[in-house]
Amino acid sequence: MNILYATLGFIGIYTYVSFASLLWEGIDRKLVARMQRRVGPPLLQPFYDFLKLVSKESIIPRDANRFFELAPVLALATSIALLAYTPLGFEPLFGTKGDVILFVYLLTLIGFLRVIGAVSSGSPYAQIGAQREMIILVSREGPMMLALFTILWRLNGLGVTKPFSMGTFYEHNVWELGTPMSVIGTVILLFVFLAWLASEIEVGYFDIPEAETELAEGTMAEYSGRHLALFDLASAIKAFVSASLVVAVFFPWGISGYLDLIGLPAMVVDLLFHTLKVFTVLFVSMTIFRTVTGRLRITQATNLFWTRLLPASMVGALLLVIDALGVIA
Amino acid sequence: MNVDEFVKAFGERFPEAEIRVSENKMPHPKRRVWVEIHREKFHDAMGFIKELDPRAQFSIIIGMDAGDKLLAKYHMELFWEEGESISLIIGTSVPKDDPKLPTVTDVFPSALPYERENQEFLGFVFEGIPDPRRLFLPDDFPEGIYPLRLDETGIKPEMVKNAGHPYKIGGAKK
Amino acid sequence: MNGRLEYWVKVPIGPIHPALEEPEKFIITLDGERIIHVDVKLGYNLRGLEWIAMRRNYIQILYLAERICGICSFSHNHTYSRAVEEMAGIQVPERAEYIRVIVGELERIHSHLLNLGVVGHTIGYDTVLHLSWLARERVMDILEAIGGNRVNYSVNMIGGVRRNIEEKHKRAILDMVKYYRNEVMPKIEEIFLYDPTVEARLRDAGVIPKRIAIEYSAQGPTARGSGVKKDVRYNEKLSVYPDLGVKPVTPKEFTGVVKGDVFDRMVVRVGELWQSMDTIERAIDQMPEGKIKAVPKDNALLFQLKKADGEGIGRYEAPRGELIHYVKGQKGKDVPAKWKMREPTFPNLFAIARALVGEQVADVPVAIASIDPCLSCTDRVAVIDANTGRKKILTEKDLLKLSIEKTRELNPEVKAKPEVIGVGCPRGGAL
Repeated sequence: MNILYATLGFIGIYTYVSFASLLWEGIDRKLVARMQRRVGPPLLQPFYDFLKLVSKESIIPRDANRFFELAPVLALATSIALLAYTPLGFEPLFGTKGDVILFVYLLTLIGFLRVIGAVSSGSPYAQIGAQREMIILVSREGPMMLALFTILWRLNGLGVTKPFSMGTFYEHNVWELGTPMSVIGTVILLFVFLAWLASEIEVGYFDIPEAETELAEGTMAEYSGRHLALFDLASAIKAFVSASLVVAVFFPWGISGYLDLIGLPAMVVDLLFHTLKVFTVLFVSMTIFRTVTGRLRITQATNLFWTRLLPASMVGALLLVIDALGVIA
Repeated sequence: MNVDEFVKAFGERFPEAEIRVSENKMPHPKRRVWVEIHREKFHDAMGFIKELDPRAQFSIIIGMDAGDKLLAKYHMELFWEEGESISLIIGTSVPKDDPKLPTVTDVFPSALPYERENQEFLGFVFEGIPDPRRLFLPDDFPEGIYPLRLDETGIKPEMVKNAGHPYKIGGAKK
Repeated sequence: MNGRLEYWVKVPIGPIHPALEEPEKFIITLDGERIIHVDVKLGYNLRGLEWIAMRRNYIQILYLAERICGICSFSHNHTYSRAVEEMAGIQVPERAEYIRVIVGELERIHSHLLNLGVVGHTIGYDTVLHLSWLARERVMDILEAIGGNRVNYSVNMIGGVRRNIEEKHKRAILDMVKYYRNEVMPKIEEIFLYDPTVEARLRDAGVIPKRIAIEYSAQGPTARGSGVKKDVRYNEKLSVYPDLGVKPVTPKEFTGVVKGDVFDRMVVRVGELWQSMDTIERAIDQMPEGKIKAVPKDNALLFQLKKADGEGIGRYEAPRGELIHYVKGQKGKDVPAKWKMREPTFPNLFAIARALVGEQVADVPVAIASIDPCLSCTDRVAVIDANTGRKKILTEKDLLKLSIEKTRELNPEVKAKPEVIGVGCPRGGAL
C-alpha cells in the first residue's frame, strides 16, 4: 500500500474512531441511566458537549505554566498517533514488528500527559489527582504487560511474519492453542485484561484520579473550554483504543472471510464488526462495572493491582508457559 | 441518679444557687432542672457537674440580651445511660459593661463552637477560650457590632438591605 | 516539625464542592494523602432566622421554623411547638401526639433514605443514589397526601396538629410500610450490610471512637454508630414514644461489633428504618379518637400565649440527632423574647472534624456525608449585609434587577412586567 493511500486511510480511520468513541460514550450514558431507572441524556449528548466545549472560552489559571495549554494538544496528538498502531479488525496501517511496545508506550503517554497538565495547573485538587493518576499508572501496567507479552511470546512459537506486532493476532489467536491448560490460562488473562481496561478508562473501582465527589474532577479540575474538549476527545479515543487491544488479543476474528470480500470492502466490514466487539467489551468492562460498583480508596486500588491482579497475571502466564514447554518436551 | 438526688447533691455543694424543678404534663411527665448561679461560681458548678457524671452531654449555650445584662443558659443532659436522663439548664448572667465569663472548654471541649458563636453574636467575652476566631460571621464584618443584641450595638437599620419582599421594599428606606 | 511544614498542602473543601450539598468550608491540611488538621468555617448560608424571629409572633415563627431546613422541616416545628407548649403549659391531645409520631417517623424514613443515597454517591456508587431516591418517592407521596406538600408539610400547630390522619391515609401508610418491608429493605440491607465495595470504602473510614463521641457530644446516628446509647425519644420519655417501645439502635444488634466508622453509622440508619416502620404500624394501631388541637382557633391561641411568661425547652430526636429549641415568652406581647435552636449537625460537624485527623483524603466526603450534614440548619443565626466599602455585596433586589436587565438584553420583545407575588413580609417594610 503506498504512503498516500495509507495517509488517506489513516485520516478516515481517525474520523471514524472519533465518531464511534463519542457515540459509545452516549450509548454508555444511556445504558447506565436505564440501569439506574433514569431517562438519561440523548444518545448524541457527547457530541453536543464536545461542540459546546470547543466554542466556549477556556480559562487558564494564573499559576499555570505553558504545559497547561500544551498538554491537551499533545494528548490528542498522541491518541491520533496511537490509532496508527491500533488493531481495528485488520492489521494496523503502519504496523511493523515490535509495534506492540510502541502501542503500550503511547497509551501510557496519554495518562502521563494528563498528569503533566494537572501538575501545571497549580490547583491542589489537580495535584492530588495527578499523584493518584501516577500511582495507578505505575500499578496497572505491570499485570497487563506481563499478560500481553506472554501471549505474544506464545504466539510467536506458532510462527509469525512480524514478531511482537499487532499483526500477530490476525495470523494466530490465543484460543487456537486448544489445550485445556492454555484455555484456563487465557481465561485468567482475559479477566486481568478486563480489569486493566476498567482502570485504563477510570470507571467503577478505579474512578480515583477524577473522583468527582472527592477531588472535583481531580486532574481535570482546572480545565475548561476547548482544552477540556481536547482531553475529552483524547479520553474517548483512548477508551476505544484500549478496548481494541482487548478485542484484538482475545476476539480477533473478522467476518469478511465469510462474506467473500477483499480489499477496501473487507476492511470496512471488519472495522464495523470490530466496533461492535469493542462496544461489547466496553459494555462489560465499563457500563456494567460502573453501575454495580463504587470507587475504591487509592491504597485499596494499588493493593488490588499488586496482590490480586499481578498474581493472577503470573498464574495465567505460567499456565501458558508450562503448556508450551510441555509441548516441546 | 434521679432528679431529686441531683437537686439535693447540687444544692448541698452550692447552697447559694437557685434551683427550680419544672414538670410538664405530657402523656409521660418529664421534669427539668433549672439552676441560676452567680458567674463567680459558674465554672466550679460546671466542674462539679462533670464530676457527678463524667459522660454529661453538653447541648447548647443560649445567650440572651436582657436589658443591662446578658444571660447565658447552658443545657446539659446527664445520666443518659440509665434510661430517663436529667435535662439540666444552668444559667448565669453578666453585666453588659463587663461581659466576662470563664470558658468551660476545659471541662466540656464541645462547648467551644457555642462559645465562639455567642462571642460574635452577643459580645460575650469568654476568658481563656482556646480559639477566639469568628465562626459564622464573615471576616470583614465590622467590629463592635453584635447582631443579636437589642441595644445600639445590634444591627443598625441602615445595615439591613434585604428584608421583606424585593419589590415591596423598593420605596422603603434602604 | 517546622521543616516539614513546607511540604504540607492546604486543601479547601468548600464552600462550593461537589461532595457537599450545602456551603460549608473545611480547610484540610494534607501530608500526601493523610490528613493532619481540619478546620471548619461556617456561615456561608447565614440567613439570620433568630434575628428575623425577633419581628414575628409565635404562630408566624412556626412557619419560619419549618423553613430552617427542608429535610427535617417537621422536626423543627415539632420541637418549636413543644418548647412553646412547655412555656405556656398547653396540653396536647393524645391523638395529636400520635399523629406527630407518625409524621415524624415518616420524615425519618425519607431523611434516612436520602442520606443512604448521598453516601452511595460520595463513594461513586451512583446506582445506590438513584435507586434509593426512587424508593424515597413513595414516602414523599404519603407526606404529600397527609400534609399537602412534599417538603414543608406544616402538620404542626402549637398545642396539636393541623392535619388529621384519616382512614384513607392509614391504608396508604400501611401499604407503604408493606412496600418498604418487602421490596426496598432487602435491597438496602444487601447494599449496606453485605456489598463488598461499600464495606471496603465505609469500614474503618471516619472513625469516631466512643470517647470522642461523648466528649464532643455527638448526636443521633453519629453517636449511636459509635456505641453511645442515646436517643432523645427514649431518654426524654418524649410524647407517646415510651408506649411504642422505642429504644436506641446501635450497630451491635446488627453486626455484633461497634467500630464507630461510617459503616456503623449507615447500619444504624438501616436499623432505624426498620424501627420507624414498626413504630408507625404500632402508632396507627394504638391511635385513639379525639380532637387534634388543644386550642382550635389561632387568635385564641395567640391571646393565650400573650399571657404566658416563662421559658420552655423542646427536645426531639430529629433524623440527624438531638434537636433543641428554647423559647422564652414575655408578658403582653405575642412575640417571644428569645427563640434559640441547636441542630444536631452542629456538634456532629466538630466531632467529625476531630475524627478526620489521621485519615485519608478519600474519606473526607464520605465521612462528612455520613453525619448527614444539614448546613442550612446549622447556619441560621443572624442576618448581615455589611458594606465595608471594600466589597460590594449584591442583595436579592440587585440580583433581580440584573436578571431583568439581562432578560431585556437577550430578548427586548419581552412585554411582561415582573409582578409582586403574594404580600411579602408585612413587617419587612417597617424595619
